[in-house]
Amino acid sequence: MSASVQTTAPPIAGQRTPRRGASLAGVLAWEATKLRAQARARWVLLLSALAPIVIVAIINGQGRPPKDTLFGRYIHHSGFAVALLMLGFAGQWVLPLLTAIVAGDIFASEDQHGTWKTVLTRSASRGQLFWAKTITAVVFALVVLLILGASTILSSVLIVGHQSLTGLTGQLIPSGTAARLVVASWASAALPMLGFTCLAILLSVRTRNPAFGIAAPVVIGMIMQLFGTLGGVEAIRPWLLTTPFESWHGLLAQHRFTDPLRTGVLVCAVWSAVCLAIAYILLRRRDITEG
Amino acid sequence: MTMTIAVVRRTLPRLAALALATAAVVALTACGASDVTRARLERNLPQTFSNLYVQQARILGHKGITVQSLHAQAQCDKGGPKVADHGPGSDWICLMRWTDPNVPLPDGSGKFELNVHSNDCYTAGGPSKLIGPLTITDTHGNDVDNPVFEFDACFDPNTPNTPTSVTIPAPPTTTAAPPTGGR
Repeated sequence: MSASVQTTAPPIAGQRTPRRGASLAGVLAWEATKLRAQARARWVLLLSALAPIVIVAIINGQGRPPKDTLFGRYIHHSGFAVALLMLGFAGQWVLPLLTAIVAGDIFASEDQHGTWKTVLTRSASRGQLFWAKTITAVVFALVVLLILGASTILSSVLIVGHQSLTGLTGQLIPSGTAARLVVASWASAALPMLGFTCLAILLSVRTRNPAFGIAAPVVIGMIMQLFGTLGGVEAIRPWLLTTPFESWHGLLAQHRFTDPLRTGVLVCAVWSAVCLAIAYILLRRRDITEG
Repeated sequence: MTMTIAVVRRTLPRLAALALATAAVVALTACGASDVTRARLERNLPQTFSNLYVQQARILGHKGITVQSLHAQAQCDKGGPKVADHGPGSDWICLMRWTDPNVPLPDGSGKFELNVHSNDCYTAGGPSKLIGPLTITDTHGNDVDNPVFEFDACFDPNTPNTPTSVTIPAPPTTTAAPPTGGR
């Protein structure tokens, strides 16, 4: 890595001279290396793989099903119900937290360690650094979701079984269809999760404080969730970043409806774009010579 | 001087953003209508109930029960006559009638209590006198969960909202009062 580093002058805010030395891929590889060295990130991946197994085993041993959550009453009937119960739970705060652990820290840690000047002198432009860090956080979020979802679905099916599932219109969904729908439902959590990634990136850039960048998205998510359950806010509800976490419900109805999913795609895209744009502008304008 | 300008430059956009957000929230709240309506519940509840009732009939070994043969219909009301019939709440009451030769309905209908959430999902509980207790005995003599005792459902917010024109006479009660939200 150090062989490709050029000894150029530290970039000045707003300077856009193209640098031959550092490509985005190079900066990206470097960010990935830093992430891999982080014990916290490794723990998150390990927990995402192992925790679902333990939780499914505990749920399976429950004498009294958690009936106040969707699919809670069917935990002993089908493993697919357990996977969907866990998805409902994950969307409440687990997924925002798992992505924020990396995304909320990835910019602010440079402040914490006072390393902005160092990384910028490594012939990487601010734009390159921004995108490298953003892509790293996004890929990490997707990997975490993939591991968590796969572990949950597999352990649910292996521990509880692959019986047919009672859907959200009371219809019986045969095992094969249920498996596809459960995978699709978990996949639908990717977009709102990335929305939270971008929100955490914005908070990380803005506050320059890793603790705030990690905790605030979770708290904001919970506030949005609470707000969404109130009556009389129906017009705002679809625009909350937490609502798309529930858009998979339509897949489990007898007459599948995907309008909430489509709205969710738009909402997550808007949230992500706005958060990233503000974060980018903040980073470009920042006077880093101050330390 | 520069300090004041800096402070103003910093605060003004924030105040503007806050004012804009508040205005947007107020405007949106004012014009928003809930997806939870009487017509949508009246369409969804019989559908979900019928699917689960067919499951129950299979457990009990009752022959010839299908979604079509049940002809389930519902009439829903939120919080009594004084409350508008839309929006989430735990005070939704639906009267439902269906046709099952094994289970006659003495009052002509059964009263279901619904807890409807703002995410268009609800939990419904029916009268155990008509739909059986929490657990029922299947044809092999095993105790299993009664699928219609209490159930969850989610409806499509784009279901037609035109009135279903289902009228079910309120069952005769000792107090002769229409069902209210209180329990």
